[in-house]
Amino acid sequence: MLKWIGASLILLAGTAFGFLQASRYERRPKELRHLGNALLTLETEIVYGVSPLPEAMSRIASSVPKPVSLLFADASARMRETAAERTAADSWSEAIHAVWPRLSLADSEKASLLALAPTLGLTDRDDQAKHLRLAAAQLRTEEETAREEQRRYEKMWKSLGALSAALVVILMY
Amino acid sequence: MNEDVTSIFQIAAVGIIVAMIHTVLKQMGKEDYASWVTLIGFIVVLFMVIRKLDQLFQEIKTIFLFQ
Repeated sequence: MLKWIGASLILLAGTAFGFLQASRYERRPKELRHLGNALLTLETEIVYGVSPLPEAMSRIASSVPKPVSLLFADASARMRETAAERTAADSWSEAIHAVWPRLSLADSEKASLLALAPTLGLTDRDDQAKHLRLAAAQLRTEEETAREEQRRYEKMWKSLGALSAALVVILMY
Repeated sequence: MNEDVTSIFQIAAVGIIVAMIHTVLKQMGKEDYASWVTLIGFIVVLFMVIRKLDQLFQEIKTIFLFQ
């Protein structure tokens, strides 16, 4: 009886681990696309809308889906805190560092987002637009590779978790 | 008798599961991991068989040599 309970627990844990790993591969291309769209929207806000940065950020935060919107909401909130005396670059990089654990993106995307910080809100409109477009292009190439990886590894992790759990159960039986 | 049958089934199940893991890994283009998994599965089964053979030799010894 106890043996069966333990076996089912191991099976459950192994399957859950496999699905967790698979979901990471599933979320990555989606978040990359949302982030790229958000950066292009920010470019439009800066070039054509001429809206102040905190306002533009909060508008973007309400228009993109959840995990990516946190980044823009956080940056906007940090920029609005007048008592803290941060520059826009500071709030942007601080927001990236704060929100990063909740996104499933890699370090190269973090670097290309952090590279935006010195231009954001400091240089003229055309320069900011160029940097935003560069970052969006980098994200798009990353998205392609992420999609490729998803196709290859998502199914593998799903079956591998359950199979290795079954192996452990049989070895311990 | 009963225990022998379960150990045979255990070895068979290990073989099936290792074969499935091997095919999954190979399909996804990770041949190196696939071969490692097969090798480790083989070694584990080898140890199971060696334990059974050891029991057999002890039995033979007790029957024929040290009565």
